[in-house]
Amino acid sequence: MITTNPSATMKSSKLSRRYASIKRNASQLYPYREPLQFSNLDDSDNDDEKGNSNDPEQIFQNIQFQKDLMATIRCRPWPMKQKLKALRRAKEIVLKFEGRLTRTRGYQAAGVDLWRKFVRLAYNFVVIFIPWEMRIKKIESHFGSGVASYFIFLRWLFGINIVLTIMTGAFIVIPELIAGQPFGSTISKTIPKDQVASAQDLDTVWSLGGYLQYSVLFYGYYGKERKIGKAGYRLPLAYFLVGMAVFVYSFIILLKKMAKNSRMSLASASNENYTFCWRVFCAWDYLIGNPEAAESKAAAIVNSIREAILEEQEKKKSKNLAVTICLRIIANILVLLSLAGSIYLIYFVVDRSQKLERTKEELTLWEKNEVSVVVSLITMIAPSAFELVAALEMYHPRTTLRFQLARVLVLYLGNLYSLIIALLDKVNSMSIAETEAKNNASIWEYSPHFLPTRALSEEEKWSPTISGIQVKQNNTIQHYLIPITVTNKTTSYNYNVQNQQDQCWETYVGQEMLKLSIIDMIFTVASILLIDFFRGLFVRYLSDCWCWDLESKFPEYGEFKIAENVLHLVYNQGMIWMGAFFSPCLPAFNVLKLIGLMYLRSWAVLTCNVPHQQVFRASRSNNFYLAMLLFMLFLCMLPTIFAIARYKPSLNCGPFSGQEKIYDIVSETIKNDFPLWFNSVIGYVSSPVVILPALLLLFMLIYYLQSIARSLKFTNSQLRMQIQSDRSEDKKKVAQMIVARTQTQEGSKKSQENDFINQQASIHSMTPRKHGHVVNLTLRKQNSNHLTSHSQASILSPVEITSSVTSISKARSEHHRYPYFTHDSDLSKTKSYTPVTFKKHLEDIHSDPLFHKGIPQENPDVLGAGAPGFLRGQIHVPRYYIVNERESRRKPRSISRSPRHFHRNNLADFGEMYSRNKRGYLLSKPHHAYPPHLSDEEEEEVRRNIFSRSFRPRSFSDLHQMPHFYIGEQTERQILAAEDLARMHYQSWNDGFEADHYRPVYLYKKPQSRNFDPEPRYPEHFMKPNNKQKMEPSFTESDSVSASSSDQQNSSTDQYIQIIHNKDKYLKSTGKLSRKKSKSRLEMSIVDPNELVCSNV
Amino acid sequence: MGNKQTIFTDEQLDNYQDCSFFNRNDILKLHARYYELAPNIVPMDYRKNPIVTVPMSVIIQMPEFKENPFKERIVASFSEDGEGNLTFNDFVDMFSVLCESAPRELKASYAFKIYDFNNDNFICKSDLELTLARLTKSELEEEEVVLVCDKVIEEADLDGDGKLSYADFEDMIAKSPDFLSSAYTMFPELLPLMESIRKDELLSGRGGASSGN
Repeated sequence: MITTNPSATMKSSKLSRRYASIKRNASQLYPYREPLQFSNLDDSDNDDEKGNSNDPEQIFQNIQFQKDLMATIRCRPWPMKQKLKALRRAKEIVLKFEGRLTRTRGYQAAGVDLWRKFVRLAYNFVVIFIPWEMRIKKIESHFGSGVASYFIFLRWLFGINIVLTIMTGAFIVIPELIAGQPFGSTISKTIPKDQVASAQDLDTVWSLGGYLQYSVLFYGYYGKERKIGKAGYRLPLAYFLVGMAVFVYSFIILLKKMAKNSRMSLASASNENYTFCWRVFCAWDYLIGNPEAAESKAAAIVNSIREAILEEQEKKKSKNLAVTICLRIIANILVLLSLAGSIYLIYFVVDRSQKLERTKEELTLWEKNEVSVVVSLITMIAPSAFELVAALEMYHPRTTLRFQLARVLVLYLGNLYSLIIALLDKVNSMSIAETEAKNNASIWEYSPHFLPTRALSEEEKWSPTISGIQVKQNNTIQHYLIPITVTNKTTSYNYNVQNQQDQCWETYVGQEMLKLSIIDMIFTVASILLIDFFRGLFVRYLSDCWCWDLESKFPEYGEFKIAENVLHLVYNQGMIWMGAFFSPCLPAFNVLKLIGLMYLRSWAVLTCNVPHQQVFRASRSNNFYLAMLLFMLFLCMLPTIFAIARYKPSLNCGPFSGQEKIYDIVSETIKNDFPLWFNSVIGYVSSPVVILPALLLLFMLIYYLQSIARSLKFTNSQLRMQIQSDRSEDKKKVAQMIVARTQTQEGSKKSQENDFINQQASIHSMTPRKHGHVVNLTLRKQNSNHLTSHSQASILSPVEITSSVTSISKARSEHHRYPYFTHDSDLSKTKSYTPVTFKKHLEDIHSDPLFHKGIPQENPDVLGAGAPGFLRGQIHVPRYYIVNERESRRKPRSISRSPRHFHRNNLADFGEMYSRNKRGYLLSKPHHAYPPHLSDEEEEEVRRNIFSRSFRPRSFSDLHQMPHFYIGEQTERQILAAEDLARMHYQSWNDGFEADHYRPVYLYKKPQSRNFDPEPRYPEHFMKPNNKQKMEPSFTESDSVSASSSDQQNSSTDQYIQIIHNKDKYLKSTGKLSRKKSKSRLEMSIVDPNELVCSNV
Repeated sequence: MGNKQTIFTDEQLDNYQDCSFFNRNDILKLHARYYELAPNIVPMDYRKNPIVTVPMSVIIQMPEFKENPFKERIVASFSEDGEGNLTFNDFVDMFSVLCESAPRELKASYAFKIYDFNNDNFICKSDLELTLARLTKSELEEEEVVLVCDKVIEEADLDGDGKLSYADFEDMIAKSPDFLSSAYTMFPELLPLMESIRKDELLSGRGGASSGN
């Protein structure tokens, strides 16, 4: 297939290359949308290229293209068979041609191929290790994505905790275990003698004392040697750095995830333009596979749709505002009270336990765990209370949910904070006691004064974070500080000794956090068992023998409350972050806890829960959970950081003992173990000279980025507005189009009817409902009109137009009648009017854009009508064209119109027009028993027929458009009416003489109404016209008046003129000719003598 | 690739992986599912690409579809003959599109087909009514249905033809916050496990009881 002609090959290769590149671009642009034919295209193209491709570049491109295809084929909406075929073909081509490429390329390709295979293999392998994938999917399939999102979130947290565990484990725990001093070697690593006996009691173990307290679990166990082991591992430094790294890592991964999510959900950031669409098309959760879930989902969808309908219907309705506001205020007060109460309770419990510890030797189990139990109880009970309270508020369910979440979050935070504050409080007292112990030795009289002040000052420093509690704290602190000092005085020595080991506040905090975490776990398990499992069992098995239906009424089955559960996870993670520094094993514990939770929860959900009624849409891309988590992280970091920065580390335990501050370890390391120059650099960097500018720079950067973000947001909103306005404009246009279309359809129907009728010989019956009156008359009129138009054409036509205005004012229904009116007006107006009116018409036509669409076609008629009057055929034609142009622009919509124009143009041959007129006249005559025209008519009959056919379409279209015109201003209306009239005539003409009958009806009506039925010949008409007259007066006003005033006779002439207008275009020339005929006709038909006169003029 | 399976050739598996969003295991699992549907018809050896179809009536009994209001539509949109008879290719294709890693555009194009009940390439009012009826189990009132249909068309119909073209549909669906998240996603892997779900054992009487009420 290789062509011998080099130039030919070049060309073909270039062509095909271009083609290929175009296609490739196309495939890049529309990776997923390509129509099915595309593949076929590919096939054929491939065949082509097989033959032509000799050029390596081209082959390469071809191969690239095929590879692209292979890479994206899965994203194409083709049937699998086709995809497979295309793929096979692509592979064949690649295989076949790759050999022809240069070696390197071949290797590259092979390498890429290998790599891809490897990636796929790795992927296949890795998938196995995604934990709980099947479990989550099973849940997802039963309960939908909402519930699954909880588990996915849990799994994600699990992942984070694994990393944290690895960090702490690898850098702190394991080095300490391997290289650190063994248990019992130092004071901080041995259990005090008086505690050894009870160290293995369940009681002690439970409260994390004994061996647990002196283990790697807690801060206090870690040695303070700067370097441990042979390698000189700097454990204290590592401890500090890892402690910070935990936070840094959490922040980074959270933010990263959030950024990713927000990128994903960026498209959906637009405001809800598609409320209903989404509720219909995106409502179903395709993951649901459980009949109950499906049922509740369907119910939820119905609800959401009803909600949307309601919202739509009563967007502005506000009912009983006062009551609801009162209720809401009450509810909020209740919530605040319960929040405050829970915070106070926690504080009280912590305080009490501290007092107990101090005053009592032996603590009961309850007394030891009081704090954690109370905290856990509160976290369990308060949300339900909030839920009850929320019922008072009568918010929209979604709002309720948000409020609920916010409140629960605040509650959790409050709990954690009051706990940590109370703990720090205790730490305070510990360090105070410590210092006092020292002071006791030297100047212990001084202590009473010193302690309170110091405590207070410290209190004040960290109280701002918890302003509300400050007062209480101060009070309580003062309360118990005083007793302490007292006891110190009495038992100072003993206390002092015990302090040596006991007073390790870091361990204490770690213990408390771990304890809290454990208790929380226990409570979670208990609540799952009690609230979900046993309730489920109870309801399931006792409902048969209970006095009411347990399943659908009171206890029911437990619901899986996604939001609360997620919050609980967040809270749990917060505890971990808070305690991780003081208890390096906390993340490890949390990993275990999360694993247990995962299994337990998933079991419980599948076993005994029903899906929540209000489905909280928490998809993977939802940043809501993450935002809460981030918030939690920040708030949980604060106390730790504060403790690190503010408190002096314990003297006798932990890696930092002996230092003034924990973070001193960094500066110390730098000072001792780094070269001098580094030291000085650090010194400079940490000096205000550098830090202040750096801070400033940061602020500036933040501000700059902020402003950029703001401007982007602004442009974003502007673009959105633009889109919206565009859309609304589109919609408007579309609406107009629709109106036009429907009208034209209606019109076409009518016209079709008319045509049909026209075609039928029996004209009388056919006339449209309104027009049905007098067919016979119309015939005459037409004839007469023709005549008159010819005669008066030049002068009268404009007049007609004006007159038409008046006629237009009438309702659409009367379109057919308009002709009459126009005639009338024409009659009434003398030649003198014509110029003015004509101009007006033109202006009108030009001015109204809206009308153009509809009107353009009609305008021609008008113009034509007017033109003849002034300039006759010559001017006439040009105007036509103008009109036509407009039409052509707007016409596309209605196909029917174009033919008309064409016809019109053709019609320019006036002779034809005449002939038609004549024919019409003649024909009509026969019907009416008038003497037939003999000479001209026959000749042109053939033409007429042709034209008539061609014209019919016009008439249809014109009719359709008429409505538009009416809507417009009077002038416009007039024009329209004129046009309409013209059309009417057209039809009649087109249809042949028989058809004419039909028009006449219209004509008659109008003329009669305005004209005053000058013609005795048509009694029937008179009657009807009168009716119409009554109707019309208001519209016609000036014109009609003038018409009336002018003459009844004139009116009759007008009618004729109108006819001319209709065909004016053609008639211009005909006018003259027709005059003669018209005269004759008039005479024949007994039309008013005036008309005849006019025509003669 | 050490798995000893004689259902597909390696090349076939590779091709399937290229053409779908599944890995090798998934495809084998899918075959197992497919086989389960009609063990009499479906051969265990697919290396010769036998042409076998499973009728819609069988497929919609799959637990993935059983509760789906659009199950017939889904199956029909993926069947090559348009009647709901699925070859294994179609079967893989269907789950590939429905799986979570399929891109939005792909899902949207099939979603459109699903909602286009009369296959005229437009979602018109009659399609919408059918959609609503299935979605809500015909619980909405007549007027509500009309209102919702009007609203939907008003919201999404950009070209104003009174029905939704694919462009309209895609534009609308692409902006939906939860289009990808849950809608139009399905996991074929789950099904073998579904039989063993304890919930059904524990609460199996519940459905009957609640429906009785």
